[in-house]
Amino acid sequence: MNVLFAIATGAMFGLGAFQLLRRDLVKSAMGFYILFTAINLLFLAVGAFDGSVPAYTDELSKGQPSDPLVQALLLTAIVISFGSYAFLLGLINVASRRYKTVDPDQVDQLQG
Amino acid sequence: MDLAIVSATPFALAVIAPAVGGRFRRSALAWILAAAVGALFGVFVSWLPIISQSGPLTAELPWVPQLGLSLSLYLDGLSLFFALLITGIGALIILYAGAYFHDIGKLTRFYGLLLAFMGGMLGLVMAGNIVVLFICWEITSIASFFLISFKGNSAEARAGALQALIITGGGGLALLAGLALLGGAAGSMELATILSSGEALRAHPWYVAICLLIFAGCFTKSAQFPLHFWLPDAMHAPTPASAYLHSATMVKAGIYLLARMYPVLGDTALWQVALTAVGLATLFIGAFFALRQRDLKACLAYATISQLGALVALVGLPHGEGLKAALIGVLAHALYKGALFLVVGAIDHATGTRDLRRLGGLARAMPGLAVIAVIAGLSMAGLPPLLGFVAKEALLESLIHSVQSSPLPLLPLAVVMVSAAFNVTLALILTWDVFFARPRRANAHQHTHRHAPAMLVGPGMLAGVSVIGGLGLESLVAPLIEPILTEKSALHLFSGFNLPFILSLGAVIGGAAVFAMRQTWRGWRSHTLPTGPQLFRGAIRLVEWAADGVLRTQHGKLRHYLAVILVSVCLLMLTAGLTHVNLGALSVQITSSADLLKVVLLISSLAATFASILFKRHLLAALALGVAGYAVGGLFLLEPAPDVALVQFLVETLGTVLIITMLGKISSTARRRTAEIVWRQSRSGLLRDGLIATAIGVGVGLFALAAVTHRPQRDTVTRWHLENALTQVGATDVVAAIVTDFRGMDTVIEITVFGLAALGVLTLLTRPEPGKVWRLNVPRVARMWRRISPGPETQAQSVHAGHRADHPHPDGEAHVETRETQAAMHEQRTASKLDTPLTRKVAALILPFALLISLSHLLYSGVAPGDGFTAGAVSGIAVALWYVVYGYEEARRRLKWLHPARLIGLGISLAVLNAALPLLFGQPFLVTTQVRGLDLPAHIHLTSTMIFETGIFLAVLGGASTILETIAHPRDVEQL
Repeated sequence: MNVLFAIATGAMFGLGAFQLLRRDLVKSAMGFYILFTAINLLFLAVGAFDGSVPAYTDELSKGQPSDPLVQALLLTAIVISFGSYAFLLGLINVASRRYKTVDPDQVDQLQG
Repeated sequence: MDLAIVSATPFALAVIAPAVGGRFRRSALAWILAAAVGALFGVFVSWLPIISQSGPLTAELPWVPQLGLSLSLYLDGLSLFFALLITGIGALIILYAGAYFHDIGKLTRFYGLLLAFMGGMLGLVMAGNIVVLFICWEITSIASFFLISFKGNSAEARAGALQALIITGGGGLALLAGLALLGGAAGSMELATILSSGEALRAHPWYVAICLLIFAGCFTKSAQFPLHFWLPDAMHAPTPASAYLHSATMVKAGIYLLARMYPVLGDTALWQVALTAVGLATLFIGAFFALRQRDLKACLAYATISQLGALVALVGLPHGEGLKAALIGVLAHALYKGALFLVVGAIDHATGTRDLRRLGGLARAMPGLAVIAVIAGLSMAGLPPLLGFVAKEALLESLIHSVQSSPLPLLPLAVVMVSAAFNVTLALILTWDVFFARPRRANAHQHTHRHAPAMLVGPGMLAGVSVIGGLGLESLVAPLIEPILTEKSALHLFSGFNLPFILSLGAVIGGAAVFAMRQTWRGWRSHTLPTGPQLFRGAIRLVEWAADGVLRTQHGKLRHYLAVILVSVCLLMLTAGLTHVNLGALSVQITSSADLLKVVLLISSLAATFASILFKRHLLAALALGVAGYAVGGLFLLEPAPDVALVQFLVETLGTVLIITMLGKISSTARRRTAEIVWRQSRSGLLRDGLIATAIGVGVGLFALAAVTHRPQRDTVTRWHLENALTQVGATDVVAAIVTDFRGMDTVIEITVFGLAALGVLTLLTRPEPGKVWRLNVPRVARMWRRISPGPETQAQSVHAGHRADHPHPDGEAHVETRETQAAMHEQRTASKLDTPLTRKVAALILPFALLISLSHLLYSGVAPGDGFTAGAVSGIAVALWYVVYGYEEARRRLKWLHPARLIGLGISLAVLNAALPLLFGQPFLVTTQVRGLDLPAHIHLTSTMIFETGIFLAVLGGASTILETIAHPRDVEQL
């Protein structure tokens, strides 16, 4: 099953990279978000063991629990992704106001 | 400890002298500082008997004990010899500089730099650790840079300083590498250990590399051919600095290090050949070019290069036969060359020129100076009974002794003889022509104002020591040198009419003959070979040209940079994936209905993501992404990871609300136009991006496969987490235990990052327009503050002010609306389309319920899905609904109690306080306190993690509300 997750991670990453390279800052930001999701999928797949029950101490007797460590990492990753996504969109918002465009090739005042 | 105080004193003086020096008279300041440095000299003298009787003095201060590094000092005979030179000559130079500089400001600046250099140089010779040695080595290079460029308004001085810094600094880098290898090979950075492991080091496979790198450092520092040319260009430094750094001490650092390393690395074929070849070449070239200079200081600089070459060659002689001669040479040279430099400085000071052609017959005006110059010149020429004579005899003796076995016995001797003769010629030019002969040019120096008597003290004492040292050789010089040499060797002023004496006599006669013929050879000029500085400038131009070439790849298209980065990362991933993927473990087993559902969700998340790429409209793309996110949330739920799934659903909702509201803030015209460009993108561009994306997908996929097939199945920290969650944290939810306790620090950092991101959005979007950024605009700042914590009375005002300032003009389109219609449209736009009686009621009802749900998440975070994050996200969504339904103004009015930015600070402080509180009771950071035995209703179990979770809740709620409030601020709302 995890093999499928790995393949899906690759596919999701490819889609994210393609979206990231669009000549449109909003789409690039979405590409960024797709990459976040892809990473989360990878986290899910590489946990130490496949669980059949949630990682609760009172459920341990019923079977193999799902790896709680990657879950904790995922929690952090999700919240941080949201924060950076918001910040990225804020940046794009400012850039679009200053340059009157969301085309990255026209955002050129930083060129040396 | 005494060692540490002594070595720190010059640095302390270097700080104090510029700070308070301006309050003294120049001469008083000079005497005080000279006395302080002279006291150091006295301390070193008092250590001489101790060291010669009972071995080196050492001191050690802990520095980085984890790396086995300490600030250790090591003072043996060799260090002491150099330390005496540094402090003794340093005191005289300080005294001299007091008369040399007229301006107290310049003087104090000079003292600061000179004393800093002195500290570096003393540290260099006293270092007991090669790391300390290297740092001090670099301090001297940097101090030298500042002293050469002391006359900062002279372009030549700056160029000379930079050239010196690049060459010695480059050598310093090589030295760093060499010392690192040396330390690695010896297994210790401590000098004492290295000194005792010579045999192992000479047999070590790194030996050649260590030697060559250390040579590179020493040769550049001691101005050896072919990188000798920085030294003449360094003569732009004030003359006292030239005398001290570029003749007496700093350029001897290379000699010191070579002599220091001699017992460890020396006496091999490589050592002998490299040192003698480079040293002899430098000896000859320096002596030859010294005669071709017109500037007195340039003459002295080339003569110094020549002498340094001789010293390097001496250290390279087999069986350490040259060491004694090298030490006497260092001493004699420092004395006579220091004196000559100071004499030249006094001449320059009195006549305003250093040009040989314009100087002559100065003995009448400056008799004292003339006497000193003659003594120093005789020592330079190597005439008895001066110390220079002893040095030259020792040089010739050890050379004759050791070259007898070499294949070319005559070549080194011939080089030394010719150079010695040239030295004699130069000494005659410097004394006879300058002080006694008539000037060659008619436009000789016009006025000769008297030099200060203090200027005679320094050179006079140096010349005097040259005489006393020569006469009282056995009682004065021998005790200095004996502790350094392993075997006792006698020192004699005159050792009979032997071969060295005859050769020496021949050199004097030859030199005098060359001097007599000076009218003939002065006219010879050859300009066929490029000079060192020209080659250096060529090299610098080459570097600049290469830099321009690199700059041309920076074309400014961000997407293309990104593509390059992504492709490089993908190549790394691909190699990792290809080498590690375990094909045997690849198998797909779909055993249960849950597995089937997972496949369906995977496919739907991929399909929704793909759809988001295809959708032309941003809004649809954002919604498709939301669908993909929910599908991933479903996957989390099936894992089963209920906590993560809950967070994923909530954050996905918030994220979708965020991007949709954010899209409303970005000009729809701009977005539409960009979309057109994107959709008209050329096929080749699409193909290129597609190929890159495919490559990345394959690379990451392979990497992921490698990761998945190499999972550690047991013995991970996870087991420990599962076993200890209940006992140590009191939580049945292991994920919650990890987040709040086991990895609690991560969580603290995470909410800080999140809070900062939210505040970042606030600052970004409430920032003034470009062009006004740097002007302090008081009303605008006040307005920004009001935006951060708006009160009711300032509300309308801030909205209108913000509207006037920030309303965007769609680029290029005629903007015909008047301000009144704008305002009217503005009112219309801020009124939300969702503002119906039903939605108002729902929104009003949802917020209290959301807060209740949050409360339950907080209370049962340890035993059920839901924790501080989910609590914050739930309330955040409810707040978002208020902003969407009521619009900015009404929502702000009704949520007056909500101060998002403050909540972030409060949340983070609460979390940190809760984590730090156990420290007060002597317990570790972040330890959990449980309240046991308290039977609360509804199965509530009190632990300190609840406070932590509340902190997370407040920070997340504050962050989410800050972001949404900022976006909802109706400055430039447009229709979606």
